[in-house]
Amino acid sequence: MDSEKVLKTSSTYTPEAIAAIQERAELGRYMIRGYGAFRNVPRFDDLVFLTTSLTRLPLEGYREKCTTKTLIGTRYAQRPMELDIPITIAGMSFGALSYNAKVALGRAATLLGTSTTTGDGGMLPAEREASSKLVYQCLPSRYGFNPTDLKKADAIEIVVGQGAKPGGGGLLLGQKVNKVVAGMRTLPEGVDQRSPCRHPDWIGPDDLRIKIEELREATDWEIPIYVKMGATRVKDDVKLAVKAGADAIVLDGMEGGTAATQSIFQEHAGIPTLPALVQAVEALQEIGVYGEVQLVISGGIRSGPDVAKALALGADAVSLGTATLIAMGCNKPVYVEDYHKLGTEPYHCHHCHTGMCPVGITTQDAELMQRLPIEEATTYVANYLQSLVMEVQSLARACGKSDVHNLEREDLVALTLEASAMAKLPLAGTDFIMGQS
Amino acid sequence: MQTIPQQIVIDCTNLTTREINQKLKALAASESIPAKLLNPAGRHNLAVGITQIAIAIDGPVGYYCGGLSDNVNIEVFGDCGWSVGENLMSGNITIHGNASANTAASAHGGKICILGNAGPRAGISLKGATLIVSGNVGYGSAFMMQQGCMIVCGDAGANLADSIYEGAIFVGGEINSLGADAKLEPMNDTDWQLLEQELSALNISARDYNFKKVICAKQLYHFKAKDWGNY
Ligand SMILES: Cc1cc2nc3c(=O)[nH]c(=O)nc-3n(C[C@H](O)[C@H](O)[C@H](O)COP(=O)(O)O)c2cc1C
Repeated sequence: MDSEKVLKTSSTYTPEAIAAIQERAELGRYMIRGYGAFRNVPRFDDLVFLTTSLTRLPLEGYREKCTTKTLIGTRYAQRPMELDIPITIAGMSFGALSYNAKVALGRAATLLGTSTTTGDGGMLPAEREASSKLVYQCLPSRYGFNPTDLKKADAIEIVVGQGAKPGGGGLLLGQKVNKVVAGMRTLPEGVDQRSPCRHPDWIGPDDLRIKIEELREATDWEIPIYVKMGATRVKDDVKLAVKAGADAIVLDGMEGGTAATQSIFQEHAGIPTLPALVQAVEALQEIGVYGEVQLVISGGIRSGPDVAKALALGADAVSLGTATLIAMGCNKPVYVEDYHKLGTEPYHCHHCHTGMCPVGITTQDAELMQRLPIEEATTYVANYLQSLVMEVQSLARACGKSDVHNLEREDLVALTLEASAMAKLPLAGTDFIMGQS
Repeated sequence: MQTIPQQIVIDCTNLTTREINQKLKALAASESIPAKLLNPAGRHNLAVGITQIAIAIDGPVGYYCGGLSDNVNIEVFGDCGWSVGENLMSGNITIHGNASANTAASAHGGKICILGNAGPRAGISLKGATLIVSGNVGYGSAFMMQQGCMIVCGDAGANLADSIYEGAIFVGGEINSLGADAKLEPMNDTDWQLLEQELSALNISARDYNFKKVICAKQLYHFKAKDWGNY
């Protein structure tokens, strides 16, 4: 036998587990990072489309119309959110993101006729200007939340939780809390800023109902009110949010990104986006409001097929965070020496919380931010969104649909037993649905 | 000759909350004639999202009275529910009675006076307003307060000023316990002057109380592993 050594790796003490133990031994605390869950979970990639052959007829790929118009908030609002595409930009705070990144997201969303969302820290005037449709978040912290900006919003999103940290609050480290960020948040400059995990003025769903009425009264029942939740006990949570009066549910699965949280939340709390979506649709159907209360799903969505599958499973729209940052240049192999300073490499960087983002996206450092020219970033995000829409349309046409919202569960099968069980779809090539057949 | 009404009277009995608030908003948009609301019957969300108006409410109100409002003068002759004056930007809200939980939550500016007791979590996330309570406040009051001033003539419940960032809390009675990163600081002349000025407007003499001042200890401003035992 060849004399090359076979190195044995413990499946308990993997290199990652060893590094994690030693990192904690040095830090004396839990680990904090940006991005979403690293672990492998059943996802939309585990599903495939049954397009057409004889049983169904496709539409001409390069010519026939396939519409993408999307309405969110039709339940009570006089002015529902009218989107040209079923893809929205998720709430990412000014503070976590740089000024340039926020403005670029707004401009790109406007070019594609879709909405972007504020975040913890309030409404940046330049973001309002850049975004033709802006969702204003009402978060537990209420940083920068005020009636003046509320009246400028096109929709309100009450944030109950996020997929990256369901049940947890936020932490914006002091290095990102510069004068402007601190001023908007009424906080001392440079202080590590905690965002609380629950709202200051309501606690349960009955209170939420009254809170929603307050927000509607303050905005004269004109704009929709979304309720955003991290996916955990999805069925009950969705039903309670509907009962409390939400116009739309925004559900964020465990793959959802963040700028900073404890990695234990990212890896060990909440459920993946795929089963969360399936359960949310079932919950809406069970209480007879499917179609009346819209569903926006997010968490790890990064390709046209992801979007198409989410729509087929019953979502009205999807929301993107991390992928839009990547489109701008997050983790790009440029300024490599700065990745090294952070102790990482391009494609492996999740150091958003440090404020030292080598490509100027998750930073408040003026010099680093210059690395992200607004125009270029706008073009990248707009191109990316457009490519996603084209991919969704291609799949929809191949399934014989002239509207992307006509994609349906019928169009999908699962490739793995886990995905079959979670999506309640037949395993490819069989009539078998794991857990049901 | 036409008589000019001194006050617009709105009887809430047969009106929806929407109708009442629409009437108030129309009034605010037109002229600065004070409004009087009769028979509020503990209704939630009265006078929310409103600017530039003077309203007297004759009876108890529910949640969020005067919430999300700016430049208002609201007086309630009765008790009020949760979160009175939530996110107030400027103006005055006075309650001639007791207040339930979360009084003045997140209020940015203006003044909220409770001429009775306030429940738990009074002044939670306060962002710059002044909150005066002539009686007691419940547990968890001034939690995560960021700026502003809270004056409590009576007692304060457990965990007062937990995780406060800035601002000051003055308590005339007993403090059950302080929360994480809160500390007592000796009162100085400026503090007494402030209290005298704020309370004399309510016919209360600050010197009748043994006021103590609570501020942020600033020990937990930065997230350090060694501090975990303090939370
Ligand atoms: C940099 C960054 C900042 C974020 N800030 C907020 C925030 O302020 N409010 C919020 O509700 N969610 C926030 N999120 C979560 C997103 O709104 C969204 O739920 C999540 O990013 C979706 O998953 P994805 O990143 O995999 O697309 C943030 C995410 C990122 C990546």
